Parts: sequence; C-alpha cells; structure tokens
Amino acid sequence: MSEAIFCDDLLTAAFPGILKHDPICAKSSHFTVPKDRLPAISHYIHTQPSLRGRLTLLWACDDRPVRDSYGLYYLFTLEASHHWVVLSTELAGHDRLFPSITPHIHAAQWYEREIRDMFGLIPQGHPDLRRLVRHEHWPKGTHPLQKDFSWNNVLERQQGEYRFHHIEGEGVFEVPVGPIHAGIIESGHFRFSVAGEPIMQLELRHFWKHRGVEKLFEQLTLTDAVLLAERVSGDTTVGHALAYCQAVEALLHLEVPRRANYLRSLFLELERLYNHLGDIGAMCNDTAYALAHAHCGRLKERIMQLNDRLTGSRFLRGVIEVGGVTQDIESRRLVEIVEELSHIQSDFSEVGAIIFANASLTDRLETTGVLNERTAWDHAVIGIVGRASGRDCDLRRDRPFAAYDELPVNVALYRYGDARARLRVRGDEIHESIRLIREVRDKIPNGPIASQPRSLPKPGAWTLAAVEGWRGEILYMVMAGEDGRIHRCKVRDPSFVNWPAIQWAVLGNIIPDFPLINKSFNLSYAGNDL
Amino acid sequence: MFDTILLLVAQTTVLLAFSPFLVGLIRKVKARLQLRRGASVLQPYADLAKLFHKQPVISTTTSWIFTATPYIVFASILTAGLLVPTFISQTPMNFAGNIIALVYLLALGTFFLMLAGLDAGSAFGGMGSSREAIVASLTEPAMMLAIFAIALTNGSTNLSTIVHKTALLEGIVTDPSPHLMALAALFIVALAETGRVPVDNPATHLELTMIHEAMVLEYSGRYLALLEWAAGLKLAVFLSLIVNVFAPWGIATAVTPTAIGIGLLVYVVKTAALAVFIGVIECMFAKLRLFRVTDLLGVAFILALLGLLFFYILRS
Repeated sequence: MSEAIFCDDLLTAAFPGILKHDPICAKSSHFTVPKDRLPAISHYIHTQPSLRGRLTLLWACDDRPVRDSYGLYYLFTLEASHHWVVLSTELAGHDRLFPSITPHIHAAQWYEREIRDMFGLIPQGHPDLRRLVRHEHWPKGTHPLQKDFSWNNVLERQQGEYRFHHIEGEGVFEVPVGPIHAGIIESGHFRFSVAGEPIMQLELRHFWKHRGVEKLFEQLTLTDAVLLAERVSGDTTVGHALAYCQAVEALLHLEVPRRANYLRSLFLELERLYNHLGDIGAMCNDTAYALAHAHCGRLKERIMQLNDRLTGSRFLRGVIEVGGVTQDIESRRLVEIVEELSHIQSDFSEVGAIIFANASLTDRLETTGVLNERTAWDHAVIGIVGRASGRDCDLRRDRPFAAYDELPVNVALYRYGDARARLRVRGDEIHESIRLIREVRDKIPNGPIASQPRSLPKPGAWTLAAVEGWRGEILYMVMAGEDGRIHRCKVRDPSFVNWPAIQWAVLGNIIPDFPLINKSFNLSYAGNDL
Repeated sequence: MFDTILLLVAQTTVLLAFSPFLVGLIRKVKARLQLRRGASVLQPYADLAKLFHKQPVISTTTSWIFTATPYIVFASILTAGLLVPTFISQTPMNFAGNIIALVYLLALGTFFLMLAGLDAGSAFGGMGSSREAIVASLTEPAMMLAIFAIALTNGSTNLSTIVHKTALLEGIVTDPSPHLMALAALFIVALAETGRVPVDNPATHLELTMIHEAMVLEYSGRYLALLEWAAGLKLAVFLSLIVNVFAPWGIATAVTPTAIGIGLLVYVVKTAALAVFIGVIECMFAKLRLFRVTDLLGVAFILALLGLLFFYILRS
C-alpha cells in the first residue's frame, strides 16, 4: 500500500491538476487528467527514475450512448513495484483529436494507430498515421468499434494502396513474403529490404483476417463471452479464458474457491508445457535438426493427450468458467498427472542435453536475432521474449493471480536476447511448470470448484485483469453494460506488443535466418488480429 | 557394337529406375530415426507418376528458358551419369568425355536452373539462384581437385580407366592418404551439390531458407517431375562416383553375364549403404548458417588440395 501512496503523492505533487479516483483493483491507482497534459504526464511516468512506468495497455471506449464522449485510458506498470497506474481522459462532444504520446513512448505506436482505425479518433503528432488494422480496401470512415456501427455490417471494397517504407540505393532489393506462405503458417506479410543477404529493414503488415472479436464481445453477456475469449488465440485457450474470467469475477465481486484457483493454475501450466515443447521442437526443425523436432513433437503429443484424458479437450477448451472451473480432478488423477509429467521431464532432460550439446545447432542459435534490453524496454516487450532479453517480468510472481500467491515461481531470465536465450527460457520454464504442478498436487485444498454469480454489475463499471499466459502477459479490460451485457472488452494478447520488436531483432541478420528468429518469438497472428 | 548399345541402354535404365529409390531410401532412414514410420521407399516413383499426369502451370512472365530448363537439366545430368561407371567399369560412353566433361555437364544443368530461377521473376527464385551460384562456384574447384588427386595416381582423367585400374588393383599406391582426403572432399561436395543437410534442407517449407527448392518453386506438373527426377539422378551420379572411384571392388570388369549380375548387385548394395549414411548424417546435424556453407566448402577444397600435394610428396 505504501507504494501506492508514494506513487500517488509523486504524481499529484508534480501535476497538481490531476484528479485521483478509487483504484480499479488491488495494487493500482487511477487518475483523470486533462487531455492536453497527457503527453507530459505519461512522459514523466515513463522516465521518472523512481517510477519507470512501462506502457502496458492503451485503449479507447465509445461512451456516446450514455454521455456524449469517448474515453481514453492509459495503463502503465511501474518497473520496481509492478503497481498499475491508469490515466484516463475524455474527448467530449465532437472532439476527435487527442495528443499522441508515441514521440516519447515508442510502445504506444500500434495502440494509437489501432484506436484511430477502430474509433476514428486521431492521435495528433503521431509519426506514422498509415492504417494498421483496417486495410486499404475498407471504405473510408469505417470505424467498427463506434457504437453506431452495427456488428453484422457487410463492408464494400474500395481501392487503396499501403505505402511501405522504402530504402533506395544500388543493390538494395525488396523481398515480399506472405501473406500466403509455402507451409501451414498464418497470414502475415513481411517486407524485407536487403542488400545481398543481410536485412537492412523489415516492415510487418499484419491484420489480414480481422474477425471483429472486440465488437462480438459487445453482443454477448458477461458469462457467455468466456467461449469467445477461449477462441481469441487457439493455442492460448486457458490464458485468455482465465484473464477474461478474472475480469468478470472482479466486476461481479465473485470469490473463486481456492480449489478452483489451484486447478486454474494447473491448466495454465499444462498449456504452457505443450506450447513450449512444441516451440522448442519447431525451432530445431527450422534449423533442419529434425531429430529434436521429432522428440519434442512426441512429448507435446503426450501432454495434449493428457489434456484430452483430463478434460475431454486437447486444447483445454471449456475448462474455465466464470466463478471457477468446470472440471474437477480427483486426487488419484493428480498423482497420475505428476507421474506422467515425471516421465516427460526425464525424456525432456535427455532431449535438452542433446540439443544444447549439438554444436551445429548452437552455432545457428547463438547471436541470431538479438533483441537487446534497451530495445525490449522501449517496445515494452514482455513474456518469453522479454525474459530472454533481460526483462525480469512474470505476472505469476509480480501480480499473483489464481493460486500463484501460494505457489512461488522461479522466473527464468537470460540477458543475451538471442534465439538461444529464448530457447533456454522455454526449456527452464518447462522444468518450472512441472515443479509447479507437483506443488499443486501437494497443496491443493478440498472444496467446491465454482461459485455462482448472484448480482449484476452496475453499467459502466469496469476493471482490468492480467494473466501470464505461455507467451506472456494477457490483459483484459471489461466494462459492464446494461442487463449483464458487455459494453466494451479490450483484449490484449502479448503478440500485439511483441510483433513490432521483431522488426528490430532481425536487423543485420541474414534472410535465411529470419524463419528461425520468427519461430523463436512465435507470436500469434490471431491473438494480434482481433 | 551390339553389346555396347545394350550396355548403354542398361546403364541408362539402371540410373533412371534406381535414382528415385535412393531418394525414397534417405527419406525412409530419416523417418525411422525420427520415430516416424515414413512413406514407403517407393513413394518417389508414385510422386513422379502423379506429377507427370498433372497439368503444368506456367507464369505468363516467363521466357523459353523456363520451359526448356527441365529438359536441359534432365538431359545434362543423365549424360553425366553415362560417363560414370555404375555396375560395369568400362562404361559404353567412356569415349565421349572424361571427368572434366562430367563436371561441366553438371554445371550446365546448374547454370540453366539458376537462369530459370531468375526467369519467373519471383523473389524466392532470385534468392535461390544467387545462393546456388555461391555454392556451385565453390563446389566446382573442390570437385575438380578431388578427382585430379585420384586421376594422378591412376595416370588418366578417364573415369572408366580410373575405376577399371583400381578394380583390378593395378598401380595401387601403398599410402591411401590422397584417396582418403579426396574422398572426404568429394563427399562434402556431393552433399552440397545434391542439396542435402547441412547445406540445404530438401524437406523444408520455409521459402526464405531454400536453395535448390527456391529455384524450382515456380515449377509444376511434368516440368517439376523432370526436375525432381533430375535431382534424384544427380544424387545417384554422385553416389556412383564416390563408391566406384574409391571402392570399385565387385564391379564388372568384363562383359560377361555373371560379372554384370554381380556388378549390378554390388552396385545397388553399395550406393544404398551410402544413401543410408547420408540419411543418418541429415539427422545428426542442423543446417549450417548460409555464410558458413562457404567455410565447409573451403574445407572440402583444402582437403582436395592436400590430397593432390600428398600425391607428389609420396612419389618423390
């Protein structure tokens, strides 16, 4: 609590005009600020040595049905205390302009472009106002998250051209890759400028399959929308469902039973396990080291089959619900899980030893795709990628949720920021996840696995929830509407934050190493393109 | 005369019929080592049959080079294959050219393949061609020197003569070190020229990492079938070259039915064993970083050069 007071005092002393609100959740502060002071205040929070706020989320909300204004919200996580600071401001009446903070805070770049596309609010002073989410074939003036835009609107197509950044000079070529690839890869476009093989510039062009997820949330009730959250990114079913449910439970003031919290941690770790195993195998496959790929594929399959036996779903769908979990796991089954995982762990240790002893593989991974700590901080990079670049952040330890307040996590941290460091973070986390599951078996209490929601939240009430999914920090902002419906739901997969960073990690590397670098990040296209 | 024609037909048939098997065998070995069952070793035959029945799609931006290349590549590699002894030491075509002809017949195919990669104007074709140019320009001298080291010990640049003499243990040297160096060099060259790990990955789907596959990315139907078959032939040519130049024993040295029968059997067993070895190597190593390929081929060149020097040192 002292942290909160310290940070609040610092801000109110530096900026007397700002208005303090009740915190939206534990370990957070909330201020309303005049819109023209936003850049100065965010810059202060970002750079003040005792605060060092990392821009964590930036979202807008169309409140016009109620009070003729748009709301803008800026979430910062303070570096040392992991305390949340929310700044909010209003654009009243016909005001569609807000000052951009991107010139000071690089991480805001995609958020502000996204807000411009989805709401038609214009970030003044933004260095790059090209369209991000709505591609050029969307008609002018289409802003789907405005409340007067109907969710089942069918768009016409128009002509338009996206202007890539060009590097010109003798011997400089552009290599366009995607969005249609030779293998089974999701649709993303990568535009390389190369002189020979080394990459001079990479520009991403994503958002090819906009599904309107955030708009769809607004058509659903708070309890039903778990199913949608599960499908935001298929490989992060538990992570997204859990983050969403935590937000809704906070709105409903619902206490989740302790046993359910332990089971939630169990499912989250199982999801982390199968994805990390798959990733390590896939990275080896990209270097044509097929042996490790085969063994990791086998281990991943064993975990997915375990998931299937436990819950009836290989991807753990339908397991998390608002108020708890849908599946109980008997203690006998828990012992079986731990036994199975012990076998997998000893197999993985052997595979890991082979992988790290293989000189030809190490040569491919070391110094490939280095993302240094400074760039990682500037882009607010999180998750596995952040931890491989010396960014010591893991929500399971920093802002414990589910049962992690009773399950202390040892965070894997590496400083080199190359593909090998990202592989090592995954390897360490596999062992750590298995250890955590053993601890779940030892500590899990008996009791109910779900509690029933009793009341409906007040329209306009909103909250934030965060979960450390296997890729990194997943954030949900849920604002309640009338009759238990959703007024606004902001989904933030870690991929949205980490994608731009890849453009810096590849610089100076050669083109044939790009697939390996991309795989070592392994970001979601679907979770990024809502 | 009749014998010669018959042998010529026989050698052509053996090369054409046997090469897809070698490709299938390597794939099978890799699959088994990766705990997979893998497709049948006969799968490449089925693939070829399928591709020959499919309609090719050709980009409208291509020139005659694009459609002519598969035939040129196929013909040049097959001709090169006829210069290399397979089951009989005196190949019927041995009058037509020596090892220098062999190297340049292979280079002709590579050259046209690189042109075809550029022809369609796709980003990947150009990348593949430029990478193939690096690899080809480095394998060529290493391959020449390696074969020269052998040629010197046998006093001839004609492959049939080299193989025939070695098979009959004529003029064999007491110290095998030039042979061993040349063997190592030629093996590395074979991996690079046939696009295997650690130089190229024939199984990849990642366009950006491809070398050989990037050049043929635009091909389909019968053109692709010809190119795939030619790639298999090239593998067979290199494997034949290695097994028969360095360990020709068992090859038919006279034109008698028994000798040819034994020669054929020994040839199949030896090349298949070498293919299995390549399959095992592919499972043991990751692919090299593109710019490390030059180091590997540099090693091949130095080995071949040392083989050559050793010959002179040992003689004097």
